[in-house]
Amino acid sequence: MTPRVELLNAENAPLLARPFFAGGDPGPIAASMATVPELLDVAMPFLGAALGPSSIPLRPKELVILRTSALLSCRYCVAAHTPVAIDAGLTRAEVEALRDERPVVEGFTDAKELALLGWVDAVATGTGPVDDAIADEMATHWPDHHLVELTVLIGATMLLNRYCSALGLPNSEETISRLAVEGYASGVVADAEPHPTTGATAAPVPVAVTVRP
Amino acid sequence: MSTVAEAIAAGELPGRVWMYANYNCNLACSYCLTESAPGVPKRALPADDMLRIATEAAALGYTNVGVTGGEPFLLGHLPTTLASIADVLPTFVLTNGTLFNDTRLAKLDVLAGKDIAFQISLDSPDPDVNDEMRGPDNFAKVVDAIPRLIERGIRVRIATTGEPGRLSADDHARLCELHRSLGVPDEDHIVRPIVRRGRALDFDMGTTFLPEEIPAELCISADGAFWSPFGPTVWNGRVDTDLLVSRQTNPLSVPANLLLRAVGGRPHGDDVVIGIR
Repeated sequence: MTPRVELLNAENAPLLARPFFAGGDPGPIAASMATVPELLDVAMPFLGAALGPSSIPLRPKELVILRTSALLSCRYCVAAHTPVAIDAGLTRAEVEALRDERPVVEGFTDAKELALLGWVDAVATGTGPVDDAIADEMATHWPDHHLVELTVLIGATMLLNRYCSALGLPNSEETISRLAVEGYASGVVADAEPHPTTGATAAPVPVAVTVRP
Repeated sequence: MSTVAEAIAAGELPGRVWMYANYNCNLACSYCLTESAPGVPKRALPADDMLRIATEAAALGYTNVGVTGGEPFLLGHLPTTLASIADVLPTFVLTNGTLFNDTRLAKLDVLAGKDIAFQISLDSPDPDVNDEMRGPDNFAKVVDAIPRLIERGIRVRIATTGEPGRLSADDHARLCELHRSLGVPDEDHIVRPIVRRGRALDFDMGTTFLPEEIPAELCISADGAFWSPFGPTVWNGRVDTDLLVSRQTNPLSVPANLLLRAVGGRPHGDDVVIGIR
């Protein structure tokens, strides 16, 4: 897939965007958003705060990010966060469950994590208020400040899912290579099939080349 | 006093705000920063936007306005828009000076008594040398227009653009004789280098510079706000983004404050090194 917008580089990066390029290629999200530097300027710190290290450990955050991305059929985000989830210590069964390649209950048994995944599914795919039973289960295991942070994380991930999918952002070669090493053929399960819950579809991915950069 | 006004008063920010009125031009000069020519996308700023920018600039503490293009006088509204802008802040317009026939000159009557100056390019005392870079009959049209503008009470400056050393001492002396004869005093004649951007790249001309080497003049175009009028240049049809400050230009305080932030830490005085102030 060809990106639908220009990805800027260190040479044509706007002044206020240059710090994001100081360490080399900042990735396609920053490289595309750099064309609106005043937006990049506030969006990246926000996204960093939402998705990056915080009071919540990496593992539950990656559960949220990968699960949300799979629910929204974001090939870019699923591909990018599969290695992160593996590095966070998730088993193959867990990763596959998050990627919707097997039922969640086959990957997870911990009540706290199941409550979180129920919350993710409800927030990412639902409309209107979250069902009381799901919210009550979540509240049993997670304090309010975590509920707030995790819900922001779901929303931020959804923003990125739609952004990356709509603009056709390419995954890095590093991600593609890592996925191949880990034996994941693509970033999204059932690429051409509508998601059973959301109805979202991802463009077909040539199997031989796994995820298109 | 706004932060921007304080920075301008302290000399940390230049006092001029530029506007790219448009990008299309009746000429296609070989060193044009913006690849301007007939038929290119106009990318014009609406007249009411231009007046708003000037009004907000004055409120922010800016001291004068520059208008450039393209050829701004291809815009039919320009004389009246300039008259309104000049009521707000002293105004400086870059024009190639080739469009001022009797009809257009008559439309400039609205500028009578306003604090406004035109800057017109004249690159050589020799018509053939001048016209080689700026197009056929450019010299004759400019030499015809300048006295007629001055007669109407419009201050005219002449800008001579070229590669360093291109103009010999004799050429320079003859050019100065010429501009004086046209009614332009020495203090209104500037010589400046070609900047290596836009079409100058295609012709392997010009001086390369870093952002910190040019004045941080706020420049508004249809594509956003830029660091200096050397910012929103065009090459291969693409607007350069390296000097982009923000896409948002309304209110003007947004790019003005972002520019001020970008200026932070920039060493003073480097902009005079390559002489394009």
